Amino acid sequence: MRAALAGYLTIAIVLLGGWELTARLDLVDADLLPSLSQVCGILWQLLHDPRFIADLGLTASEVAVAFVIAAPLAISSGFLLGERLHLAEAFNPVVHFVLAVPQSIFLPVFILAFGIGFLEKILFGITHAYFVILVNSFAAVRSIPRPLVAAARVFGATRAQIYTRIYLPAMLPLILTGLRLGMVLCIIGVLLAEMYASRRGIGRLIFTWGEGYQVPELLAAIVLVSVLTIAVNEAMRLAELHLGRFYARASAV
Amino acid sequence: MPIIEVSKLGKDFSSGRVLVRALADVSFSVEEGRFVTLVGPSGCGKSTLLQILAGLIAATSGEVRIEGERICAPMPNKISMVFQDPTLLPWKTALANVEFPLDLRGVERTARRKRCSALLELVGLNEFANHYPHELSGGMRQRVAIARGLAPDPRLILMDEPFAALDEQTRTRMGHDLLDIWEKTGKTVFFITHSLAEAIYLSDFVLVMSPRPGRIIKTIAIDFPRPRELDIIGSEAFGRIRNRIWHLISESPA
Amino acid sequence: MMGSRTIKALVIAATIVALWEAVVRLGLVNQIILAAPSDIALAAAKDGGLFLRAFATTIMEIGAAILIAWTLGIGLGVVVGSLPVLAAATAPVLSSIFAIPLIILYPLLMAWLGIGPLSKIVFGVLSGFFPIALNTIDGVRAIERRYLLFARSVGATRLQTYVRIVFPLALPAMLSGLRIGTGLVVIGVIVTEMLASLGGIGFLISYHRTLFNTGHVYLGMVLALAIAVTVNIGLTWLDRRIGLWRMREQAEG
Repeated sequence: MRAALAGYLTIAIVLLGGWELTARLDLVDADLLPSLSQVCGILWQLLHDPRFIADLGLTASEVAVAFVIAAPLAISSGFLLGERLHLAEAFNPVVHFVLAVPQSIFLPVFILAFGIGFLEKILFGITHAYFVILVNSFAAVRSIPRPLVAAARVFGATRAQIYTRIYLPAMLPLILTGLRLGMVLCIIGVLLAEMYASRRGIGRLIFTWGEGYQVPELLAAIVLVSVLTIAVNEAMRLAELHLGRFYARASAV
Repeated sequence: MPIIEVSKLGKDFSSGRVLVRALADVSFSVEEGRFVTLVGPSGCGKSTLLQILAGLIAATSGEVRIEGERICAPMPNKISMVFQDPTLLPWKTALANVEFPLDLRGVERTARRKRCSALLELVGLNEFANHYPHELSGGMRQRVAIARGLAPDPRLILMDEPFAALDEQTRTRMGHDLLDIWEKTGKTVFFITHSLAEAIYLSDFVLVMSPRPGRIIKTIAIDFPRPRELDIIGSEAFGRIRNRIWHLISESPA
Repeated sequence: MMGSRTIKALVIAATIVALWEAVVRLGLVNQIILAAPSDIALAAAKDGGLFLRAFATTIMEIGAAILIAWTLGIGLGVVVGSLPVLAAATAPVLSSIFAIPLIILYPLLMAWLGIGPLSKIVFGVLSGFFPIALNTIDGVRAIERRYLLFARSVGATRLQTYVRIVFPLALPAMLSGLRIGTGLVVIGVIVTEMLASLGGIGFLISYHRTLFNTGHVYLGMVLALAIAVTVNIGLTWLDRRIGLWRMREQAEG
């Protein structure tokens, strides 16, 4: 744990320090790599720009809506398939195909079908999140120790009790992992869709700045998005760790 | 000249601020061609001593000489080791595993193959030359490890509880077969075990080690005639020696 | 003589194609969203040469990126994995960085390297590098001490230990990394071609999308999917060849 923290700090210092130094010492053309301090300054300005915040909010809402729709759908599908294995066998080739194939390639079809608005972004995000969460939920259901369920039934546990006391704790770790991965993929999907074809959103801004060689703004946005996505990922990982551990203890045999 | 000479060997380990004395003032010698076993309670430093003899770790004090030479690094041409876990390479066949030490040294293929096939035959596995470790039982894997240990034609073979992970029947049989191999090849064997019966059955001499910090309490000569049959294990004389060693170990101050 | 399984597969494929054609021709799905197989064939007849050239460009970019990503990923992975302190410090950082949607870096690469093959190759390498390196690090770190002890006792030199013992032992883990990473390389290259490029399959897909030439779009997608599937098959084959190692999990344990 301590080594990890030390590692983070060292790498952060080395990278950020190196960045600032490279810019200060004029080792690289300032147009290609503006200094860290300059980028931070721009970032500060952007965070006070209502249009930027609006774009940021739009992207965040697209991600949130897509996730909130995909997650329950995927978990329940996974649950259903896990409990009814004959259905799972039927859907297996479909799921395998989707996972083997890079979903991002279908973006142009989404645009042809749904245009370049809010809906298209959300649908694209949903497809990205759905399959990962589905696979993990399925695995979660399969991971439930069947002897435990049988034993519980012998002791007269009700359906509700079996679901909350056995299913839930056993499934939680894998489902949480699936949710985290689903979130990561959802974010990627939405950002890609915005970068590709959109009128608003952070992805659109980033792409436009890239096209227009506005490197300081571009770097500022990259830094911001990186920090935010890492934060989301780490928050979900923490939840995974603690909730998972708590429920594992609660259901420990 | 004895093949192993250990005088006043000491080994300390430091972990953080704590100093652990694993071995203190260990002295003994082993003549060539002998089968010598070291017994002692858990944690007394047997494995540490073996690793020092192998040149894998350095002593803190004292001297270790193998054939008169001070040892400070592994001498793969003179010393072979067989570990408790056979540690075979899973992607190589039994024969390839036996050949491995010679392969590393660049020994020419036909000569290598010939020698190692003969070794596999010696340990009774010539039919399994092209099998992979996962296809062999625990006892068979250990036989391959022994054959591999014999491949470089060493003078000394160090064995660290090689049969500890096997069930009792296999273990007994392996011990008997090991004696057979030893008599045929004439190597010097330095063997470590927890099992007093195993030690007495196999060896010319049993070195009895005290609990940590380990030192040699006594060297006991085993006079049963060779080749030894398994039924000596039930004999009275055997039982007496065993009790003697047991008392030595349990009465030794910790 | 074709086996009955092949005949069965071909019949199923032919049926799907026929149904597909029917669905579009009968107007069940808008022709703009779903191109009929005949439209795809038409596009191929018309611009086949152009598509083939683009195909070659994409393959070249992917090939180069795979080579570099494999070398860097495995090389760095082995080095870092062998140094426990370094591994403990960097592994968590690397896996956090994994959460960042790499696609947002592409506009930066565009600004720095232009929109030719180089920026695609670099992006492809970036996409594939992390999973390969991470899995290799895990694989090397997981090697049990007894193998290294054995290597020393048998007189292996440092190089011999790495090549003949460490590398094969870490191979299963490395392979999972290579599977994930190589898939990401393919997606990375094609997607960035779609975003902004001078050539390649992705470029053609995007170009024809803006013209609503759905037949051409689908032709491009079919070619892109063909690349992805072929790479996947290649990796599965590699996986199976090396699968011998897997059996050790059950045995040597």
